[in-house]
Amino acid sequence: MTTDSIFSVEHVTLRFGGVVSLNDVNLTMNRGEILAVIGPNGAGKTSLFNSLTGVYQPQEGVITFMGRDAKPMNVIGQKPHRVSAAGVARTFQASRMFSALTAFENVKIGAESHKGIGVVGAMLKGPRTRKDERESDATTIRLMDFVGLREKANTIAASLSYGDRRRLEIARGLATNPQVLLLDEPAAGTNPAEKLGLATLIRRVRDEMGVSILLIEHDMKLVMSLAERLYVLNFGGVIAEGTPDEIRANPAVIEAYLGSTADETEKQA
Amino acid sequence: MKDFIKKPFVTHLFSSIGVLAVIELMTGPPGSSTTPTAGFSGSFGERASFFGLFPTYRFVVFLAMAVILAVVWSFWHARGAQIRHGLNTGLATPRAVWQKKPVRAGFLLALLVFAILLPHIETDPYWQSVMVEQIAVFVLLALGLNVVVGFAGLLDLGFVAFYLVGAYATAWVTGALPLPSLFGIHLNTFWAIPIAIIIVMIFGVLLGLPTLRLRGDYLAIVTLGFGEIVTIFANNQYGITGGSMGTNAIPHFSIHLWFIDYAWGLASVPYYYLTLVFVVIFIVAFSLLEHSRVGRAWTAIREDEVAAESIGINPLKYKVMAFAIGAASAGFAGVVTAGQTFYVNPSSFTLPVSINILALVIFGGMGSITGVIVGAILIQSVSMYLLHSPPAGYQSSDLYIYLGAALVLMMIFRPAGLVPSRRRSREIGMAEKGEGHMDEVLTGDTP
Repeated sequence: MTTDSIFSVEHVTLRFGGVVSLNDVNLTMNRGEILAVIGPNGAGKTSLFNSLTGVYQPQEGVITFMGRDAKPMNVIGQKPHRVSAAGVARTFQASRMFSALTAFENVKIGAESHKGIGVVGAMLKGPRTRKDERESDATTIRLMDFVGLREKANTIAASLSYGDRRRLEIARGLATNPQVLLLDEPAAGTNPAEKLGLATLIRRVRDEMGVSILLIEHDMKLVMSLAERLYVLNFGGVIAEGTPDEIRANPAVIEAYLGSTADETEKQA
Repeated sequence: MKDFIKKPFVTHLFSSIGVLAVIELMTGPPGSSTTPTAGFSGSFGERASFFGLFPTYRFVVFLAMAVILAVVWSFWHARGAQIRHGLNTGLATPRAVWQKKPVRAGFLLALLVFAILLPHIETDPYWQSVMVEQIAVFVLLALGLNVVVGFAGLLDLGFVAFYLVGAYATAWVTGALPLPSLFGIHLNTFWAIPIAIIIVMIFGVLLGLPTLRLRGDYLAIVTLGFGEIVTIFANNQYGITGGSMGTNAIPHFSIHLWFIDYAWGLASVPYYYLTLVFVVIFIVAFSLLEHSRVGRAWTAIREDEVAAESIGINPLKYKVMAFAIGAASAGFAGVVTAGQTFYVNPSSFTLPVSINILALVIFGGMGSITGVIVGAILIQSVSMYLLHSPPAGYQSSDLYIYLGAALVLMMIFRPAGLVPSRRRSREIGMAEKGEGHMDEVLTGDTP
């Protein structure tokens, strides 16, 4: 574990009854990098995300998150909202918006979720509440601008296009002021033009906001152009790790995707 | 004509006959153990007048009504969309006027003035007491349950527990219960208001902490159980609550301050004004809350709890908060009931009351403050009217049949309620864009 690592996953095993979803996974993520996790369907990628954000509680292992002020925290045993407060934001595989709210409100909820709540203050809109509201509004507008959705701020989230929903979800995650952003298949269901735009946006999140990116993606072209380092999962275990070029040449990866185990992978999916 | 007889009409006719047959049975004579089929044969075979024209049998009258219903139904089926569209374009201008803040404020002020003058317009003591005991109290209960069910999306089937605790807390602090009051001080009922509300809110937290870890149906079942436990506890713990007899020694409200010296007596009108003040306070507080950060967090949890957690919202905290805040107005309803009728006993806090409150909320429109108030006033006044001057053949036990039918129709034709909340109606795509403060924020002219 190097000093500049932001996430370090050590010997993590996650079981659901007899099904082993993650099997002794080891993974290190460095601060400021764009890291991708790839693998066939059912390989355990989303389980890994859910374990990193406190949704699932792995039975074995340690997941250390170096949050703000470089204070290490073991994610296992924490509630999702605590993990979010420590600086981990995420998006979901099938985007999960608050669909009856406007795009603006969606992001604003993220921006204000970590501020203390005084019920009476919130009700009466006292000076502190009004200051908080102004701050959250400013943050929200800034992020809507950043992801390019300012014109659609008053649109109901449910009526946004697929690509816009992905952008909105990223904005909502960023509104919580995270250290790391986990993106679960951000390009799923988007067209080639939207994919290109998303790739640019993801790079800008890292470069301009200094947020580290952990990415699950099926689109190989997108992953290879975006990620600086990759982990390959298969049957719940890490089978390879390296730069895009190393991964392309790795025989184990080729076998996992194309080789003799392909049939079994299909079945498991 | 040809497409009129086509398939939809046949379907509508058969459905209408089915519906009318049920109504026929509901409104017909009851059977008895000696003549078990009397209800059935009487419902269809009794002699009746054909709309006052000529004598015939009940089933003929109902068949005629079924045909009329089917014709109207088919007409709506064929032309409904057109009519609705015409209505929408016709209503565009009134709606735009309605959106203006001064217009709404003026309307609300007029409503308030009307509410203040109401006891002088309706001077019948029966209706004056109904206004307090059955309407105002149930408006308060519906407002409270609306926070829990409508805002936070938690189905609470035992809401009557908070109402009960409010009433018994009043009895306790005024020294009317067998359980000695705190430090032996017997408070006046008026000063019991804040204390009872605080007690109920604490009770809401205590009840919420263990139960709110459950979701959906499980929560509904557990709250149902807790509601029953509280009622049964009140019924059985003679030494604490006075058992099934309850207590009848609660003093009326009175206030003695520097220059104010007033005592509420037996007349309903003074209670009406006291309750009205609190109804207004709760309406203002809850609508401020709905549009605050707390209200947005509740919406987030209601819409998608996993996503809400992922952006740092602690669901348990907000749910417990909803329970406690919703309990506050139910607690006040309990204080009013206890203080006005000067007695409390467990039989007025049973499961049907919980169901009744929930029906008001669903009928009026979950999540809509205006909706639940309209729903409560409408349903409570209709049921009280039916109790007061029942039409021929109506028995008081029929009430729930009609209430149930009204709810079923509501769920089919207007699932978001009579006056749907804006956020909920957005889901059905009736959103009007470019509205509210978000515009101002984005164009930079924040007030």
